[in-house]
Amino acid sequence: MQKFLAVLKREYKKVVFTWAFLITTFLMPLIASVFVIVPMFIFSIEGDKTRIAIADKAGSISKRLQENLSPKRISEKARKAAKEQLTDLNASQEEKMKRNAEQLGGNFEFVPYNAETKSIEQIKKELNAQISEKKLDAYIIIPKDISAKDARFEYYSRKAGDFVINSTLQDALNEAVRSQRLADADISEEKLKELSRKVAFDVKPLTETGEIKEEGGSFWMAFIVAMLIYIVLAVYGQAIMSAIVEEKETRISEVLFSSAKPFELMMGKLVGVGLAGLTQLAIWIASVLILLSFGFVSAIMSGAEITLPKITASMVIYFFIFFLLGYFIYATIYALIGSMVTNMQEGGQFAFPPIMLLLIGLYFCFAVVRDPNSTFAFWVSIAPFFAPIVMPVRILSEIPPFWQIALAIIINLVAIIGLTWVASRVYRVGMLMYGKRATIPEVWKWIRQS
Amino acid sequence: MSENNVSLKVENVTKRYGDFTAVENLSFEIRAGRVFGFLGPNGAGKTTTIRMIVGITIPDEGKIRLFGSKITPQIRDRIGYLPEERGLYKKMKVQDQLRYFAALKGVSQKEADKRIDFWLDRMKLSEWKLKKTTDLSKGMSQKLQFISTMLHNPELLILDEPFSGLDPVNVEFMKEVIAEIKSQDKTIIFSTHLMETAEKLCDDILLINKSQKVLSGSLREIKASYGKNVISVRCEGGEEVLNDETLITNIIEHADEKELFLTEDADSQVVLKRLIGSGAKVTKFEMIEPSLNDIFIDNVKEK
Repeated sequence: MQKFLAVLKREYKKVVFTWAFLITTFLMPLIASVFVIVPMFIFSIEGDKTRIAIADKAGSISKRLQENLSPKRISEKARKAAKEQLTDLNASQEEKMKRNAEQLGGNFEFVPYNAETKSIEQIKKELNAQISEKKLDAYIIIPKDISAKDARFEYYSRKAGDFVINSTLQDALNEAVRSQRLADADISEEKLKELSRKVAFDVKPLTETGEIKEEGGSFWMAFIVAMLIYIVLAVYGQAIMSAIVEEKETRISEVLFSSAKPFELMMGKLVGVGLAGLTQLAIWIASVLILLSFGFVSAIMSGAEITLPKITASMVIYFFIFFLLGYFIYATIYALIGSMVTNMQEGGQFAFPPIMLLLIGLYFCFAVVRDPNSTFAFWVSIAPFFAPIVMPVRILSEIPPFWQIALAIIINLVAIIGLTWVASRVYRVGMLMYGKRATIPEVWKWIRQS
Repeated sequence: MSENNVSLKVENVTKRYGDFTAVENLSFEIRAGRVFGFLGPNGAGKTTTIRMIVGITIPDEGKIRLFGSKITPQIRDRIGYLPEERGLYKKMKVQDQLRYFAALKGVSQKEADKRIDFWLDRMKLSEWKLKKTTDLSKGMSQKLQFISTMLHNPELLILDEPFSGLDPVNVEFMKEVIAEIKSQDKTIIFSTHLMETAEKLCDDILLINKSQKVLSGSLREIKASYGKNVISVRCEGGEEVLNDETLITNIIEHADEKELFLTEDADSQVVLKRLIGSGAKVTKFEMIEPSLNDIFIDNVKEK
């Protein structure tokens, strides 16, 4: 036990006290928080206003255009557009959009200019003069007959490269002109809007018992969790393998085996690296929770409607349980491979099958998220090798009956015990075989013999 | 020989790997406080035997008793093993590395730190304490590995080719250290195929070849038993004695002396008497002990 702890301590320190670990562990949340916080700052910075003159020869467009460019209208429009794409806007998206709109709308300053009696050449001359005096940044010339087929709307700007302003302006102008054309044709805008309104398509998820389920952004959470488990399992599995290959390649195993039992050594390594992985995940999850609360706090302050993704304590506990199950399954497989091969290159080739298993599990998640209660979802979420990725996703999408979760845990525990039994047998013979890769029949013999 | 005088007892040990027999019916004893030379050509079964002694593998037949008991984890902590294949964690600091190996042998960190300082100083590596192992030269890492086998103050030290890769200065230095350890009443198993070193260091030897014991016993006795029939002579005259085939079977002529190979039942004292009696002027007459190297080659070639 004392020796097991010595191995565990070394392996844990070896992983945790490295720059790579510290950087990935602490920099990732930092980078993520930069992505949350920096945009908040950027959106709160007001840009220089674009002073614009509207040379409206038609006389009827200028007022509509100014109205369309008001912050209120832009924000309304953006919201409507987003609603058509997504069924449910989450709070932070909505918040961001609102800020965007305010900023865009607040960006225009209209310089009054009367153009009705002037020729185009005269307008250009006068306004260019204003621009050179730096009293104006841009102007737009609206032709007299806006309904003519060859009607051209010319926009002159010192900031012609600002595509955001350009497209906002273009949209607003389009709308203003269309409204005017409708008015000219005696069709009220309200009437047109009423006629061309889209149908309301409302998705209401049902639970198995037929009740309407509350949905709280768990869909994307499920994918993030699946990816996270996949990456961490692959990374730490490979770490185990390279640690074992190192000991074999440098023949350290010879000294180790004369000091402690192979089983103690192997388990010390697995548990030590596993705890390091757990440390990293815990830090990540804690920082995600902190970030979320920050993001939401600022959203609350600006008065947006909030829909918090529903993460319960039991979900977090299940997540860690299935992470540990997955870790021990894949780490044991990698340990087995590590003690069979002679160097890292060979190990790399053999690392493919477990990666394949992990990837298949990841792909199963897509199907499971679409239909978490199907027979297929049931079987893959309890199957060994797949359950550690699929079950947490299923739990997040829709929590399955407890007996299914328990069954998945038991099946995977049994798988771990079996794999450990096999791996420890291969480990204690393989680690002393130098210079030659073990063949499958040889490995089979080692397993049966000892 | 009483039981508590014996550090290690190997009885009729056999180890097979598939069809290949690595060690066959091997028996020997190592007395406490002696340097035991475990000799044999490459592939003779030395490493296999050592692995069974340190408990890495288990004999198929026969038994091994260490300090009068079966090999248990507690007993194993009294052995220090320096394998032929050296290995250290390259990225670990010297001190951390030594602490880890000490911990694996059940030494508390406080005690380990004291011994680490002592041994780093003794091996002239103190300034490397906080450096990474990769920064060390080959000779230095070998000394480091030697330290790692000494930290738990073992009673039985097994050194498998301890001098390979060391420069002559360091070989002499290591011999000094080994002599010092021997003077502290520790038992040392010294496995090598370099006979010259073994000859200088060992009290007892065991020679194995092709998985089997060839020769064993105290080095002095073995050499004496091999050396009685060759005499190195420097003399003028006495040809009729030298040509007497009842006394001498063969003569090898060197620059100014001769090596005489006596017949089975000839007595060296008779040869000397006859030489002097014949009026020859004898300036050198010496019994030649064969070198361990000769005995080794002689025994290994025969088989």
